[in-house]
Amino acid sequence: MLRAALIIARKDLRLLAGRSGGLMQALLLGLLLIFMFSLSLVPGQGMTAQGAAAVFWMSSAFCQVLIFNMLHALEEENGQILGLLLAPAPLQSIWLGKAMAGACMLFISQLVFLPAIIIFLNQQVSSLWPVGVAALVIIDAGIVAVGSLLGALARGHSAKESLFSIIIFPLLSPLFLGGIRVGAAVFSGAQADESLKWLSISLAFDAIFTAAALLLFPFAYNVDE
Amino acid sequence: MDMMTDTDMHTERGIAGRFFSLIPALALAAGLALTLSWTMIFVYAPRESSLGLPQKIFYMHMPLAWWAFCGFFVTFAASLAYLRSGKDHWDALAGAAGEVSLLLIALSIASGSIWAKASWGVWWTWDARLTTALVMCFVYAGYLIVRRLDIAPRRKAKISAVIGIAAFLDVPLVFLSARLWSYIHPPSISLEPEMKMTLTVCLVSFAFLWATLIGLRLKLELDERLLETMLADRLFGKGS
Repeated sequence: MLRAALIIARKDLRLLAGRSGGLMQALLLGLLLIFMFSLSLVPGQGMTAQGAAAVFWMSSAFCQVLIFNMLHALEEENGQILGLLLAPAPLQSIWLGKAMAGACMLFISQLVFLPAIIIFLNQQVSSLWPVGVAALVIIDAGIVAVGSLLGALARGHSAKESLFSIIIFPLLSPLFLGGIRVGAAVFSGAQADESLKWLSISLAFDAIFTAAALLLFPFAYNVDE
Repeated sequence: MDMMTDTDMHTERGIAGRFFSLIPALALAAGLALTLSWTMIFVYAPRESSLGLPQKIFYMHMPLAWWAFCGFFVTFAASLAYLRSGKDHWDALAGAAGEVSLLLIALSIASGSIWAKASWGVWWTWDARLTTALVMCFVYAGYLIVRRLDIAPRRKAKISAVIGIAAFLDVPLVFLSARLWSYIHPPSISLEPEMKMTLTVCLVSFAFLWATLIGLRLKLELDERLLETMLADRLFGKGS
């Protein structure tokens, strides 16, 4: 399953890298959000650490909606989905492959968003950055687990971006709350007593939704319409 | 065209058919129990010393939230049953429970908001239970939007079932994270024996109302599907 997933992830990443606009569209949306939120600031003043962390995760959230819609749209034309369905690999490898490709793209996007947050929203990264990196990895894992599952559900629908967003944003709220609190601690350098609790909740989210996605993905990814 | 008899329809609906015959009795019980509970709220239960009259909202607020979450569980269980069996009535039950639960949770949020204004001086606060209720309200509103989309029925039923399961799995996580974020709800409320009795009667009366509403919505949904099938058969000449 892992080998098939790696092949699918590599195929998706190569396809998107070769198409103009793929990742750039998602990146641009995230950067635009950071810029738009910076308009709420009084000139000369910075945003609070919690506000900046919230903007970072909102940009990541909108970015991943586009990423997973793009990833699942790759096989929409000419019935190419049949190729994946007929491949001698469990259906869950498609979920895992898309999740891995999505994780790579989301991480690259966040590498761009973070300096943008520091520059535009006047933030600093404190010595708590290792906690921030751990939170980033754990929260991104949860986001891509749900994103890869729900992206398959929205596949093929004309309003897939909005459909995907209205379902995934409230579902991901436990991760976003954790990401915002840990991010605020990393930006402000304040006591991070609660960070471990937030990371535990996020890990629980990852475990529950990875298991659920493995069970539910075969029902979500089909051509019986 | 072959017309379905009542017996055919009854058999097709499985367990739902037997449940429908109980709806009139459930509705009557709901009406009587709600009358009794309202009487108890305003006549039998004592007025709370610090909050006064607004505390009476509690007797409606809590049962609304309680049965809304029970409805979310029904949606979850029916979604699992649909994915396992592929039978239409499970999908219809998941949808009916989802609709009724969204109504109840919205009413619970509204009543809680009025209560919050009276006791905390604000219409809204980011308390764990309020936040959980609001987030679940958004999740199930999205779930119901998906159920109204123009997608092939079988695919829509599968998508809805997957979302119905994922949404319920999110409930404890949303609650835990919202509690860590901010928590000001009282951990437990000490109630006088008369208050406890009144609350119990309210919970039971809302159980009848909840079951009646779900039953009626389920019957309506199955009737609608049956009519659509009959219309399609007539249009395409099947069985004629």
